[in-house]
Amino acid sequence: MATAIFDVNKRWSEEYPELGTDPVPTEPCISAEYFELERERVFRKVWLYVGRQEEIPNPGDYMVRDLKACRTSVIFVRGQDGEIRGFHNICSHRGNKLAWDEAGSCQNFSCKFHGWVYDTAGQLVGVPDEEFFHNFDKADNGLVPVATELWQGFLFANVDPRRSQSLDDYLGAWGKRMSGFPYGELTARYAYKTELKCNWKVALDAFSEGYHVNVIHGQSYPDTFTGKNNPMCHLPEVRFYGPHRSCIVYGNPNHKPSPAAAIAYRFGESVTKRSGSQDQLPAEVNPTRSAEFGFDLDVIFPNLLLHILPGMWFTHQFWPLAVDRTLWEGRAYWPPAKTPGERFAQEFNNTVLRNAWLEDTATMEATQEALSSGVKTHFYLQDQEILIRHSYKVLEDYVGFYTQNGNA
Amino acid sequence: MGTTRLPQPFADLEVFVADWSLATQREREQKRAASTAEELKLVYRILLPRLDPMLEYLNQYSLDKLPADAQRLFYLTLSFAEIAPFVECYKGEPRVLNSFEETRFIAVHADRLA
Repeated sequence: MATAIFDVNKRWSEEYPELGTDPVPTEPCISAEYFELERERVFRKVWLYVGRQEEIPNPGDYMVRDLKACRTSVIFVRGQDGEIRGFHNICSHRGNKLAWDEAGSCQNFSCKFHGWVYDTAGQLVGVPDEEFFHNFDKADNGLVPVATELWQGFLFANVDPRRSQSLDDYLGAWGKRMSGFPYGELTARYAYKTELKCNWKVALDAFSEGYHVNVIHGQSYPDTFTGKNNPMCHLPEVRFYGPHRSCIVYGNPNHKPSPAAAIAYRFGESVTKRSGSQDQLPAEVNPTRSAEFGFDLDVIFPNLLLHILPGMWFTHQFWPLAVDRTLWEGRAYWPPAKTPGERFAQEFNNTVLRNAWLEDTATMEATQEALSSGVKTHFYLQDQEILIRHSYKVLEDYVGFYTQNGNA
Repeated sequence: MGTTRLPQPFADLEVFVADWSLATQREREQKRAASTAEELKLVYRILLPRLDPMLEYLNQYSLDKLPADAQRLFYLTLSFAEIAPFVECYKGEPRVLNSFEETRFIAVHADRLA
């Protein structure tokens, strides 16, 4: 395996001078006006990740996502023809919510108010007492579609009926960079969620740099993502792809596993094992195949974090519920275990990962409360926190709170 | 008491079966959170040197075809996976230090049988 040494002392502000070096306002995290603009100009406009295609593998399988950030609930259902479609979860008759379970499998959706029935392609196929409606045609009263497209098995939705961009165009060069990883083969899922009393960006920002690793994860992941060559977890690569961003998080090739971690290494995959083959990685990710590669950390604008590394991948997603409330979902994906030993290794690694996520989420609610006081009006970001700088810049380009709405 | 509930080479671990041979992650997590540091350290100390032979023994079976005694042994290894980081990283404290409230973390997968 190549052992090219990363340059971990690069100044990213020199590479990306357009992002500036000034402190960043905290107002977007506490302003109700900013939040409403995010809803209208971002979440109701762009492609949003809603789930993996494997979650609804068979015709009739469906899942419901309450997209409060878009002011709607959406049914994603695999039709009899195998295609996945999205529909607003609203009965065409009087607006009742149609599907109430988070997921399921069905032949038809039947409204529990007056019994209107829709098939899995969204067509209205049954109306009790139909002849008493006036000038009525079932063909005009199907479910209202929501656009869906797949990238590498990731299902995205766009609630804007006037959207002008395909998902491929939206993901652009980032989509090409990250294609080819065996996402669809690593399907054993460990999933957590919670509602955080903080703005969605407070949660997103906490996962968007390596500066916190030594402190917050000092006990759960000692010397794993830091080492002699990189004591502060500097990012050896940062790239921007329009609104999306990528970076490499360092992995210490000399990391000493704990006794239990060493057992897990012998029997299965691991978040921290550095000896695994990097053949699974797309060519553009860690192109030198440096042994100091920990994982690729990517943010798909606006609210999805994707991490890939040899043997597993994981995501975080942040769904705005209110200016100070966020649904967080963390999901880790492993190869389906064939042996008890592989399953043990997953269980151990998942425990450590869960513990690290409990550490990551520890600061968020207190941070929100402190920001709400208005005492501190700006974040002071260091050079290595440039992903956060990019995040606020891109968001403001969409939102226009300071430019279009005159809040300068 | 005529029957051993664990495969013969591991019969001496019988004492842990009632408390730690637990079928779901939720049960294992709750048991760990309700334990003391001394209890966690004891289980860790006894099981750690046995883990390699336990997993090698279990690996003669495929995951979905474990005999009942091997299944109990397997659940013990998964309990070890749950508690080991607490002994190795947090001195046996049954919770993550400086962390978010664990009871608010909803594990979507936690009732899945291993």
